[in-house]
Amino acid sequence: MRLKNTEELKKKATQIRQSVLDMCYKAGTGHVTSAFSCVEILVALYYGGILRYDPKNPDWDDRDRFVMSKGQASVLLYPILADVGYFPREELDRFCQADGKFGVHLQHDVPGVEITSGSLGHGLGIATGMALAAKMDRKLNMVFALLGDGECYEGSVWEAAMFASHNRLNNLVAIIDRNYLCVTNFTENMLGLEPLERKWSSFGWNTKTIDGHSFNEIFQALDRIRSRKSAKPNVIIADTVKGQGVSFMCYEPLWHGIPPNGNHYLCAKDELR
Amino acid sequence: MSGQSQRDAFWDRVYELAKENKDIVVVIADMGAPALDKFRTDLSAQYIDVGIAEQQAIALSAGLALSGKKVFAYAIAPFITLRCYEHTRVNLASMNIPVTLVGVGAGVSYDDSGPTHHAVDDLSVLRILPNLRIYNMTDSVMAKAFADISCGLSWPNYIRMDRKTLPSIYKDGTDFSLGITVLFPAKELFLVATGNMVHRALDVRNELEKKGIDAGVIDVYTFPINGDAFVETVRDVKQVVTLEEHSLAGGLGSAVCEVLADYRILKPVKRLGMDLSRGYCYKYGGRENIQSLYGLDTEGVVETVLSLEF
Repeated sequence: MRLKNTEELKKKATQIRQSVLDMCYKAGTGHVTSAFSCVEILVALYYGGILRYDPKNPDWDDRDRFVMSKGQASVLLYPILADVGYFPREELDRFCQADGKFGVHLQHDVPGVEITSGSLGHGLGIATGMALAAKMDRKLNMVFALLGDGECYEGSVWEAAMFASHNRLNNLVAIIDRNYLCVTNFTENMLGLEPLERKWSSFGWNTKTIDGHSFNEIFQALDRIRSRKSAKPNVIIADTVKGQGVSFMCYEPLWHGIPPNGNHYLCAKDELR
Repeated sequence: MSGQSQRDAFWDRVYELAKENKDIVVVIADMGAPALDKFRTDLSAQYIDVGIAEQQAIALSAGLALSGKKVFAYAIAPFITLRCYEHTRVNLASMNIPVTLVGVGAGVSYDDSGPTHHAVDDLSVLRILPNLRIYNMTDSVMAKAFADISCGLSWPNYIRMDRKTLPSIYKDGTDFSLGITVLFPAKELFLVATGNMVHRALDVRNELEKKGIDAGVIDVYTFPINGDAFVETVRDVKQVVTLEEHSLAGGLGSAVCEVLADYRILKPVKRLGMDLSRGYCYKYGGRENIQSLYGLDTEGVVETVLSLEF
């Protein structure tokens, strides 16, 4: 499914945020704010003509791989996968229910999903394996990995980063959802991640920092991503707001993993109209 | 084959298989073997070094396997199992991805390297992972067979090899699919052993025979234990003695007791292994010395068996 312009993409982003909110409200659980910070990134990938995928053939060998390493935001990926046709939308109503197929953290056996995730620091390493396999087999598919910024505390991320640049995996794109918030605190208060871009750069990656809620900047950063001269892997540090779209949830650590209920739900719903 | 180490026999076989199948790759965390030097030279595209980074070794292997590669990920046993344990749990066990972990240095075969290098609790923690199967080697014949078996699996497995060259007790072509082999049948007592301790069990059996005690030997080389086969074998003997160069907590002896309990078999079991309840082993002077300190030398095991009430 490809949308024509930014207006349509923005509408889709709002619609997806509504789905996320409703799923979490109904289930009484789920990571709304972690999902909201990367809505535009996923909408751009799935609706903006970046990812190559085929919902009718989820195991298509030449598909691009989208590795959602921040598995707590699965509640964002599922409505998108349902919307583009991987599985019936009714399944979203069974999120975290006894008769449902998936819960809070990402599950590999859901059509369109590549890995199980939830524990952090795994996805980039797996993505390096997929990217290397593509190189070995002379395939042209790309591998995109979405990481949370807090995930970059995990040493395994940097093991993978070192491996990717040494092996010239320029078919790999890491996107860091830089929302500055972990569960309990802001990253720079807890343990500084900055200068994050320079860290990636010194690990041998092409880097770019963008506004992660701007479709224009996302598309610009991913422009000609398949035909770059550089052999370096690519990282996009997407500055985002955890909870983007619902004002009272933004920048509030306490909303991590807690869905709004009662009046909060109604207010959030109202803001997303 | 008895002159070849398990490690070299295993990698020689993987090399042969990889020559015929370009989808077989090895992921190495800074660990060598003569056969791997050959691999690196002749099949460089299938040889991937990750440096001393076991988490990356597992995650990378998972990604490669998800893209159709048959991966062998190799390091010293405690490092490829414990250092990256959660990676194995999430990336391999939970997604049931057929990557083969290969660890060298079973038990205290890195004797004088001390406890950081001893693989004395890897069986305990890996045998509880869903989907994953452990193949613990007894000799170099098994090494070759396990390489072949690994290529046909659709789930993860862990190949556990001794560092020292042990005599071969099996013949080429032996079928290891049952997971256990009865090396000597018995009516009174079974010595149930795994890995290098199978050789000890055979020595102990000879000593006991001289004293008029009829002891059989079972080699358990696959975990989880094949419960049906195991229970069928030991059902009629009076006693079971388990023997492992591994922590008593959660190892072979524990696994045997679990099987007997689940099958409602009431039978006296004596577990012999390393009691680490007071700490890891900081003793040196060679593997035999360490074994004797834990009562795992032939004399010690015979003494324990003789002290059991029949």
